[in-house]
Amino acid sequence: MADTPSAQLSSPAGPVAAFWNAFSQNRGAVGGLIILVTLILLAVFAEWIAPYSSIEQFRGMTKLPPAWAEGGDKHFWLGTDALGRDMLSRLIYGARISLFIGLAVMSVSVVIGITLGLVAAFLGGVVDSVLMRIMDLIMSIPSLVLAILVVSILGPSLTNTIVAVSVVYLPNYVRLVRGSALAEFGKDYIIAAKVAGVGPIRLMFVTVLPNCLAPLIVQAALGVSNAILEAAALGFLGLGAQPPTPEWGAMLADAREFIRSNPWIVTLPGLAILISVVSINLFGDGLRDALDPKLRRS
Amino acid sequence: MIKFILRRLLLTIPTFVALMFVTFIAIRLVPGDPIEVRTGEHGISPERLAYFRHELGLDQPVWKQFIDYVWHLLHGDFGVSLSSNEKVLTEFLTLFPATLELSIAGILFAVVLGVPAGVFAAVKRGSWFDHTLMGAAVAGFSMPIFWWGLLLIMLVSEGWHLTPVSGRIDMINFYFEPTTGFMLIDSLLSDQKGAFLSALHHLVLPMIVLGTVPLAVIARMTRSSMLEVLSEDYVRTARAKGLSEFRVISLHALRNALIPVVTVVGLQVGGLLAGAVLTETIFSWPGVGKWLIDSIGRRDYPALQGGILLISSLVIIVNLLVDLLYGAINPRIRHG
Repeated sequence: MADTPSAQLSSPAGPVAAFWNAFSQNRGAVGGLIILVTLILLAVFAEWIAPYSSIEQFRGMTKLPPAWAEGGDKHFWLGTDALGRDMLSRLIYGARISLFIGLAVMSVSVVIGITLGLVAAFLGGVVDSVLMRIMDLIMSIPSLVLAILVVSILGPSLTNTIVAVSVVYLPNYVRLVRGSALAEFGKDYIIAAKVAGVGPIRLMFVTVLPNCLAPLIVQAALGVSNAILEAAALGFLGLGAQPPTPEWGAMLADAREFIRSNPWIVTLPGLAILISVVSINLFGDGLRDALDPKLRRS
Repeated sequence: MIKFILRRLLLTIPTFVALMFVTFIAIRLVPGDPIEVRTGEHGISPERLAYFRHELGLDQPVWKQFIDYVWHLLHGDFGVSLSSNEKVLTEFLTLFPATLELSIAGILFAVVLGVPAGVFAAVKRGSWFDHTLMGAAVAGFSMPIFWWGLLLIMLVSEGWHLTPVSGRIDMINFYFEPTTGFMLIDSLLSDQKGAFLSALHHLVLPMIVLGTVPLAVIARMTRSSMLEVLSEDYVRTARAKGLSEFRVISLHALRNALIPVVTVVGLQVGGLLAGAVLTETIFSWPGVGKWLIDSIGRRDYPALQGGILLISSLVIIVNLLVDLLYGAINPRIRHG
């Protein structure tokens, strides 16, 4: 920000600085990033930050309201759930689970997506057609229905949630990588690389891939938030993480029966999901605008 | 145009075959033997087992079983539900109007609110309305709708007693045989006083819950598409001709801005059905989404298999129609 126009003229900002300059202009994106970093810190240091364990049950302390409400206990800042477990601790440990699911799904689908996308683009022909038809098929089944299908085959668990949601979001990455790789193919530097004798693997991953990264990074960031939502939905339907795992969606499902008597048990986990998803989406929108002005939605 | 339609139709055939293959394989991967599931824990004599295996075609080679499966599907035989002993297709068709009614209401809610809001935000770019709307839109498409539904039940149904908590109509006071399956229409046809209002009352909250994500997407899309169009030359020409601002926006700009919005609405169908699964579960709405979830709980795999196949086929067909429609509007797609 302190850069004067003349300073910018004399030495053009590096790619990181240029990115940060564009990114930090977007107040929503910076806000999202701050919340996201906070969530990551909470998740990583949950053992030290959370006042109690996520599964410790306090007898006689069930369904306490938050500390500031009438009947609240100052030892349980956000109250307790139906089994007398501290809500705040469960929410903090829940951040670990949700962020882990989001990142795991994103990593798996990005790695497989890049590989399949590049393979489809490079080999073309039958391989390309078969791969793309499979991706069409996956996209034609509604996301949650497909996840339900996968989970009903594999059985409900945290790992299978990750598998199911990764399958659901795979086509986005495959199509994106294939599309950008195909767009790069006609360009001169590829021909130059081929003439220079670059092998196919190197051509795929070292020459072409870096030029397809910008939209991929944006897609990956937004993919994390989608994965968190999808996994929470599965948890809510009882098809995701199983009790006593403090997964936010599963916590909501447990809380459903207390909708009348203890509204905060229902409110808090959902609020946690909403806040984390909003922060990642804001961050992702900021990335999109900063990385590639062409992608800007205006 | 005919060539484009044909090519697009041909492309869907492998998708359908693959879909049938996936559902066929899926049911075989499910833990538990289909005969054991039916006979329960007491076991079965070897003769009876052989009989059932033959009856269900399980003694045939797998490729033959697949051909049989497809043959049955093509004749409208989607299997028999284990829990109700009804034909899966019959069950699906009985429940589907409820899902369709909810989905149509949800998408109407989204379009009716989203398009004007997006247009207004674009016209008043940078105003507080624009900022608020875009903020709300981010929250809208980040919304865990299962929580949103519970929250609305808590506020509107439990807190203010404005709407019922679940179901499609007040079943104690109103009963009539379904004619169309659409509660709003059936209740009008039934000539019972208050039935229509009761049905409408039951529809409001599920409609809002299901429509929230599409509403956010449509509002954002309309705004950005409108912003693009407003800077076009023909809009400037229209203004220069001295047309009223209302005419410029509603006739010249909006018509062109809506083309991408229409596509987005079409592409929401898959998401809408996924949302319907959650919405129906929360509001005990007796549609195919709730039925699918209940089938998992009951380990009713034929119903699950048939239901997934039918829902996915529907999405494939709707996406095909959207594509064809888009090709009809936009010649560039046709020849792409």
